[in-house]
Formats: sequence, structure tokens, C-alpha cells
Amino acid sequence: MTNQLITEDQRDCYQELSNVAMGQAADRLAQLLEAYIILPIPKINIIAPCDLHMALSGVDSEDKASSVCQGFIGSGIAGEALLIFNDTSFSDLASLMKYKGELDDQTQLELLMDVSSVLIGACIQGIGSQIDVSFSQSHPVVLGQHVSVANILQDEHTHWDQSLTVEIHYTIENMSVDCELLLLFTEDSIAKLNQRIDYLLD
Amino acid sequence: MSTPVLICDDSSFARKQMARALPSEWDVEVSFACDGLEGLEMIRAGKGDVVFLDLTMPNLDGYGVLETIQKENLNAMVIVVSGDIQPDAQARVQKLGAMDFIKKPIDQEKAVSILEKFGLL
Repeated sequence: MTNQLITEDQRDCYQELSNVAMGQAADRLAQLLEAYIILPIPKINIIAPCDLHMALSGVDSEDKASSVCQGFIGSGIAGEALLIFNDTSFSDLASLMKYKGELDDQTQLELLMDVSSVLIGACIQGIGSQIDVSFSQSHPVVLGQHVSVANILQDEHTHWDQSLTVEIHYTIENMSVDCELLLLFTEDSIAKLNQRIDYLLD
Repeated sequence: MSTPVLICDDSSFARKQMARALPSEWDVEVSFACDGLEGLEMIRAGKGDVVFLDLTMPNLDGYGVLETIQKENLNAMVIVVSGDIQPDAQARVQKLGAMDFIKKPIDQEKAVSILEKFGLL
């Protein structure tokens, strides 16, 4: 689903850049977890952030999840990365990360932060390097633990009308680890992003 | 005679990038396919003696293409071109008969060195 803010060629290019960036991020995570990360085809949407929960294909909006968000900015392009972990992921994630002991909220939080720093950082930098933008990242913020995906998304982004959204649904082979990485570029960034994309398409 | 080369990728941007990375002195006839099913059809039609194959594609992915090539004993030298740079992915495609692996984003030097390695240039 796109609209007049990006052309089909641009959408295709965003998808391919995301594909490369997501692969780089998955490679880092695979090394950390010593597991094989299954890569999907990234989805590109132009969507109002408050409608995001309806557009997600990888998670059910009623599922209980835990989430981290992290802002990024560079060359006049800004956005937020959101990593949403289905709560059912944590026991397998803990065993992959060789965490011992009780899987309490604090441990889950640590797992969430460890994985998000790898995935978000690598993905943002992966996109940046392809469009020649060096993104600075803010500190990650926990949006919630054990709350519904719909709540996470609705509370967070009511202030932009439209955003360019990259949705990547990561799963791990033979494990019930299930997470959704969303990159939301602000409406104001889209024209500048398109300029850089057009340069690549030339 | 020109070598039939097939570029199989669901992204038109990626297909163009790959086509641009082919050395201009290489005498080829380039065809394009945008998913695995289309790619296989073209290989069966003799349009892919050398195939540059993406892994993540709709309908039939690159793994499926490699499996079918093996099963049907099709004549194609496959070089996988993918953003999935996990060592596991490379090992899997090599086991499935891929000759080599190029990481996306493509760089021309790498493409040329692989073509030279296999005596294609």
C-alpha cells in the first residue's frame, strides 16, 4: 500500500535497501545468538502511525508484547525504530543468550535491550550507509512490557500524520522467537529520502 | 555466441544494479525474472546458462530454485546474490549447488573476480 508520496520505483528501491540492511542486522544477531535468522521480504508502507497496528502482518495487535523504541536523525532525515517482541519469545531467547535463572521482568528487559541494540543499530546504519547518511541514534526507551501491541503503537505515535514505514518480521529457525522491527520515517523526511533514492535510481 | 545470463530478483532496482555490475566486455544476452517460478521457466528455456539468483523472493525463493535445478538436473551455473549474509545462508546455498555467493549491495569488482574465477570472462 503506497500513495502519491512515493512512486512504485521508489517503493521498490526502499524495499531493496531495507532488504540489504535487514540482512546485515540479522547477520549480527545470528552471531550473537548462534542461530539462523529467517528473513522475510520487508514491507514498505505510507501510513498514519496511529493506524499502524492494523497494517502489521507479523504480530497480532492483541498479543502481549514488550517493546523498545529508539530515535534516529541525520542529514535532515529523522525517524524512530520500534522493536516489538512477542512475550512468548523470551524463554527461547533466554536459552539462546545462555541466561540462567528465573525469567523475571528484569531479565526480559535485559534481553530486550541486548537484542534491540544489535538489530536497531545495524539496521539503521545499514540503510544510512546505502544512502550516504550517517544517522545519530538517541537512547533506547522501553515502551512497555507485557502490553498489547495495539496499545504500544497507539500511545506512541499520534503526532505525525503520515510516515514511511519499513516493517521487518524476524523469526529464528526452530525457535519461537518472533519480533517485529519497524522503522518509521517522519512525514517531513520523505521528500529528502526520495531525493537520495532518485539518485540511486538514476 | 553470447552467453545467456539470467538475473533473477524480485526488486527491479536490484536487477538493474546487477545488470550494471556485469563487465561490458563480457558477451552476454541478459534476461530478467522477478521471482523463482519465472526464473525456472527461463532456465528451462535455455536463457540462464549463468544465473544471478536472489534468495528472498515471493512465490518461489532462491532455495527453491536451487533445489529444483538439482532435482531436474538443469543446466545452469548459479551465483547467489543476496542480502542474507549469514554464514549459514552461504553454506546452505553452496550445499544446494550454488557456485558462489555475492553479498548485496553488489560491487562490480567482486562480480568480475567471481566470473574470472570460473573462467567465464
